[in-house]
Amino acid sequence: MKDDVIVVDQVSKSFKLHHNRVESLKGRFVGIFKHRWRQKTESFHALENVSFRVRRGDSLALMGSNGSGKSTLLQIIAGILRPSNGWVQVQGRVAPLIELGVGFHPELTGEENIYLNASLYGFRNREIRARFSKIVEFSELSHFIDTPVKNYSSGMYMRLGFSIAVHLDPEVLLADEILAVGDAAFQDKCHAKVADMQQEGMTLILVSHNFDQVSKYCTKFVRLDKGQVVETGTLGKQNQGWAAK
Amino acid sequence: MTDIVENSRTSTGAISSLSTLWRYRDLVRNLVAKEIKVRYMGAALGFIWSLVNPLVVTLMYLVIFTYVFPSMQPHYALFMVTGIVHWTLFNQVTSQSCEILVQNAGLLKKIYFPRLLVPLSSVLVNLTLWSAALAVYLVFFPLLGGHFSWVLLTYPFYLLLFFLFVWGVGMILATLYVDFRDIKHLVEVSLQVLFWATPIIYQLDRVPVQFRHVLLLSPLAEFTVVFQSIFYDNRVPSLTITIAFMMWTMAVVIVGLWLFNKRVPELVERL
Repeated sequence: MKDDVIVVDQVSKSFKLHHNRVESLKGRFVGIFKHRWRQKTESFHALENVSFRVRRGDSLALMGSNGSGKSTLLQIIAGILRPSNGWVQVQGRVAPLIELGVGFHPELTGEENIYLNASLYGFRNREIRARFSKIVEFSELSHFIDTPVKNYSSGMYMRLGFSIAVHLDPEVLLADEILAVGDAAFQDKCHAKVADMQQEGMTLILVSHNFDQVSKYCTKFVRLDKGQVVETGTLGKQNQGWAAK
Repeated sequence: MTDIVENSRTSTGAISSLSTLWRYRDLVRNLVAKEIKVRYMGAALGFIWSLVNPLVVTLMYLVIFTYVFPSMQPHYALFMVTGIVHWTLFNQVTSQSCEILVQNAGLLKKIYFPRLLVPLSSVLVNLTLWSAALAVYLVFFPLLGGHFSWVLLTYPFYLLLFFLFVWGVGMILATLYVDFRDIKHLVEVSLQVLFWATPIIYQLDRVPVQFRHVLLLSPLAEFTVVFQSIFYDNRVPSLTITIAFMMWTMAVVIVGLWLFNKRVPELVERL
C-alpha cells in the first residue's frame, strides 16, 4: 500500500553465538588438535518470520519481555543490522533514538558534537546551522555549549542528544525506551515535543515494556515472544485491560 | 526529499549509491576535522608533530648516506626524500587501517550511515596531515636541486592513483583485522621488510638485473620509481610502469570494495 511507511516482511534474524571465541591464527591452529581450544558456534534465532506494516503517522509499540527480539528488530528497521531472511522497507528520514549522543566525542564541545552527531544522520552542516539555536534552546544548555562534553553531567549529555534527534524533523522516529530524559520538568517538555511531532504526521515505533509509556504514545502494538509475533492489535481506552495478561 | 531504504539479506549495505555518499559529505568533513583536532589536542606544537616523524627519518638517512656510506649519486638528498615522503603516507595509512572498524564500533553499532565513509575518512585524515609534509617537501624541492618543469603537471594524476591504492589497502586490512587480529603485527613486520625491498634509499639500477624485475612487481616499488622519475629524473614515467601501477590500483580498489561490502554488514554484529 502507498501509505505504508514501514514494511517488515517475513524477517528472520539469527546470530552466531561464539563460545570460547578464538581470534588469533595460533588459536585456530591449536584448535585443530585440542578440543578445549576449539571455537564452538551455535545459532541463536532472535527473530523468526516477523511481518507487519506501519502506515504514515501511525504509532506502533513493540512489546515483549527481555530477549524477545524487539531491540534487534528495531536495529534491523534502522538499517544497522541486516536480516538473515526477509526484507524491510522504510520510507523517509529515520531518526533512531537507540542511544542518545551517538558519536559524541568527550573532548569536543557541545557545539562541535551537535554538528558531528547530526551529520551521522545524514545532515549537511548548513542545515544544522539553521536549527542550531533551536537545538541549544531546547536542551537548555546555552551556557555550556562551548565547553567540552566530558564536563557535562549525564543528564546534560542526554538532553543534548535528545534535543538533536528531535530537531532533525524525522519522518520516522525509532525509540528504544527513550522518549524522555532529564528531570521531571524536562521530561514533560520531551513528551510535549514528541506529541507535537506525532500531530505533524511523524511515524513512531516505540520499543518498551512499560505500559504507561506505551499507552501515552501508541495506538497499535505488536507483541513479540522468543522472536515471534504473538499478538497484534490496537490500543484504545476499551481494551487497556490486556496489560494485565 | 523522501528516500526509500530497503534492508534485506541481499541488499548492498556497505556500498551505497554515489548520491547517498555525496549527501553524507559533511559527515566525512566533520569526522576528519574531529580526528585531527582530537589527535593533537593539548600538544603545544599541534599538528606540526605529524611532520616530525618524516623529518627525523629523512635526517637520519641523510646523515648516514652522506658521512657513513657516502652516496656517489648526484642530488642524493632529493632522490631519497622523494621516496620517503611518499612512503610515509603509505606507512601511516596501513599501520592505522587495521583498527579503524574496531575503533568506530560505537558508531557502527548504534546508527546507520554509509559504512564506506569510515575507511574513507581515515585515509583523508592521513592525507590531510600528509599534505603538510608534501608542502614542506615542495618548498625544499628547488633547494635540493629539483627543477620545476611541465613534468610536474603529471603528478596529480599519479598522486590520485596512489591515494586510491592506499585507500584500497586500508579497506582490505580493516576488514580482515576484525577476524584475524594477527594482521596488525604482520603489517608492522611487513612494513619494515617492504621499506628495504623498495628502491627508496637506493637506486633501482644498483640492484642486480635479474632481481630488478622481481622487485618491480611490487606496487610500492612501482610508485616509488614513478615519483622519482617525476621529481628526480624530471621525466614523465614510462607507459609500462604507468599501466602496471594502474592495474595494481584497480585490483586493490576492486578487491577492497568487494571485500568491505561483502563482509562489513556481518562484521558490525561482532565488533
